[in-house]
Amino acid sequence: MNLKQSLIVAVLVSLSGLAAWECYWRSQGFYPNIDDNKDLWAVQRAKVADLTDDDVILIGSSRVLFDIQLDEWAEKTGRKPLQLASPGSSPLPVFHDLVENTDFKGTILVGVTPGLFFSTTFPEAFPWKRPQTKVDYYHNRTYAQQLNHMVSLPLQRSLVMMSGSEEEWSDDIDLKALVSRITIGNRTGAPDFPPFYNFNDTRIDRNTTMTARTVNDTAFANSIKKVWEFFGKSAPPPDKKATMAFFLQDLKKYKARGGTVLLVRCPSSGMLKKGEDMVLPRVSFWDELVKQAQVKSYYFEDYKQLQFECPEWSHLSASDARKFTVELVKILKTDGVLSNPKNQ
Amino acid sequence: MLFNSLSFIVFLVIVLGLYYTKFFNWTFKKRMLLLASYVFYGLWNPPLVILLWISTVIDWITGKALATEENKRKRLLWLLLSMVVNLGFLFFFKYGNFLLENFTLLINAMGMDYHPLPMDIILPMGISFYTFQTMSYTIDMYWRKTERVKTFLDFALYVTFFPQLVAGPIVRAGDLVTQFYEEKRATTNQFIWGLFLLTMGLFQKVVLADTLLSKTSDTVFNSDKVLNTWDAWTGTLAFSGQIFFDFAGYSTCAIGLALMLGFHLTDNFRYPYAAIGFSDLWRRWHISLSTWLRDYLYIPLGGNRKGVIRMYVALMLTMLLGGLWHGAAWTFVVWGALHGFFLVMERLLKNVIRIKINFWNGIILALATYTCVNFTWVFFRARKFETAQNIIESMLFMHTDGAKVVDAFSIIKVFTLIALTFICHWMMRNTSLEAAAQKRSPIVLGMVWAIMLFFIAIAQGNGEQFIYFQF
Repeated sequence: MNLKQSLIVAVLVSLSGLAAWECYWRSQGFYPNIDDNKDLWAVQRAKVADLTDDDVILIGSSRVLFDIQLDEWAEKTGRKPLQLASPGSSPLPVFHDLVENTDFKGTILVGVTPGLFFSTTFPEAFPWKRPQTKVDYYHNRTYAQQLNHMVSLPLQRSLVMMSGSEEEWSDDIDLKALVSRITIGNRTGAPDFPPFYNFNDTRIDRNTTMTARTVNDTAFANSIKKVWEFFGKSAPPPDKKATMAFFLQDLKKYKARGGTVLLVRCPSSGMLKKGEDMVLPRVSFWDELVKQAQVKSYYFEDYKQLQFECPEWSHLSASDARKFTVELVKILKTDGVLSNPKNQ
Repeated sequence: MLFNSLSFIVFLVIVLGLYYTKFFNWTFKKRMLLLASYVFYGLWNPPLVILLWISTVIDWITGKALATEENKRKRLLWLLLSMVVNLGFLFFFKYGNFLLENFTLLINAMGMDYHPLPMDIILPMGISFYTFQTMSYTIDMYWRKTERVKTFLDFALYVTFFPQLVAGPIVRAGDLVTQFYEEKRATTNQFIWGLFLLTMGLFQKVVLADTLLSKTSDTVFNSDKVLNTWDAWTGTLAFSGQIFFDFAGYSTCAIGLALMLGFHLTDNFRYPYAAIGFSDLWRRWHISLSTWLRDYLYIPLGGNRKGVIRMYVALMLTMLLGGLWHGAAWTFVVWGALHGFFLVMERLLKNVIRIKINFWNGIILALATYTCVNFTWVFFRARKFETAQNIIESMLFMHTDGAKVVDAFSIIKVFTLIALTFICHWMMRNTSLEAAAQKRSPIVLGMVWAIMLFFIAIAQGNGEQFIYFQF
């Protein structure tokens, strides 16, 4: 057995194959991106222990993630907020974790996406389980997992073929995703979930922006709108009573130790906004929450400078997100709710 | 740390770099391997390394005492000390919750209202493997079947050797420790073959088990519906493939890694799905466990030396405990019982029917064996008896109108992959991978290797834990 020869063939052929694979996907418009996975979230969560009372933590769903830009916030306030928002998630599990498992008593900005905030407290429900999985992962992650994440980051930054995502997007290119996209008929009779393509660029600090394609390619933006329509039709009714009670209990505890909470309703537009207004009207959900929470609150429609059109109805483009952040910080500074705003 | 993780590549490169450095002597290299093994284990949960240390120290002291002690009673006491400590750890960490749950059920069934707080016990990774390994040394010392290990360093490395620490093969001291006495260096061919085995193991785990089979198996076994026959069979076959590729993949990695360092570990799998009968199966599946159970349980229970009835009782007890070794749940006990039942039936039938195995009846008998094995896997994978019952009924065509949870492509994928696996096992059943590789041209072998590397890379495995770590 001439194993040396076999090894040389194996190395040359596999490297050539992988180079071709990488080039092919790049030619299809893919570029390296950081996976916004539970490891990335856990790294940020670990930083909470080092925060002071003057710091800000952002929690909520993807709207806070896309719409609040960390660099603009840092430039205007002198402090970079910690991004702990989680796509498709209720903010309640993360808020609960911060209240129960940390001593942090700075400012927590809670993004209120009505369909998620008021969704459920059932542990197995998607909007709850998703962030809770991240919280649990942070508390239970091993040193080996932390090391894996550190080693994987340079690869994620430089190789398209390493961009497989925990989110299981319809355009993921890892082998499992590629195989799972092969279908023959619809044997199970499951509803046809519209393809949900990745539309965010993520940085290592979890600063997230909408991809240029989502802004420039209307057909692509429409594919995401179809996903919101699907969710809108299939979502179970909200559970306002349980969600508010859960949040208010944690809020009481957090306020008692001197912490500040801000409620922010980020922009949405088009049919999605209409649907939200119909199923979760402001008066009976947002206003009721604000009334009971007794904290500073900001609803985008109340401020002309916070109103933007969302390319796919739910999130701001990168440039609008920067403007939104600047304007939001101005409002917060005017209100004096940031404990240590940088003088501009 | 997992073999299928990026951090392991870094770890391995550092270990190999230090191991093959000319500046260090053999003792230093062994110390480095020991330290690396503790790091390998401790990166998962550092405090649990203490359990490894305790096991190591107790069995080292016991072995030392047994080497010189002549008094039978004292020798027995030393053996008991080792057994109590090792089995004590195993019972507490692995079976603590199970025992408490069953005790609670029993007490409540007797009419007493007893509801203890659940014990939140973490299961140390690979505890069943390293306790069995270290116990084999003490028992062999007690029986005077093995020599006392020369140094504590050699013994500690035997207990902790990272390639096989958490999921075997369970190696006997006589097979591994003696390799530590002399300086080892892999030859170039050994090193490359070790690397090939590592690639093959990772391919089995990352591509075949995790990427192609696990999702289908999970879909079926996590479903709370009564399933269609096709779905039940697809899920069960997917699991039979998944557990084989997962576990055999780990063993192949372990053997390959050890070989890269110049050490030989015994085979743990020999194409088990081509087994003809359950005796043959256990000569091919998890060989290091089946020989452990044979040597330290079945034979001490009487084996086949004390009459037919006693033999069957010993066989059943061995398989029941073997089932329980895999997990603290009654479903595992049933899995063991089924294997025991099939073994007993096979022996009974062999007394009545003599079959000369040829190609055609061989393949039919192998298929029949594999079919029976699949029924046993249902109990191994199902978390509840209700699930197992539903799936077994569906496999027996009792729910042809049951729910369809698996898509058509997955059915084709699983049946194709399992058919190929069976054919491959059948073709390889009387040979070895090395022998088969020797018959191929280096170019063909290199191409196969390249394909595996390519698929491992594009699979982008997210570090799924090996199933057997929990055992």
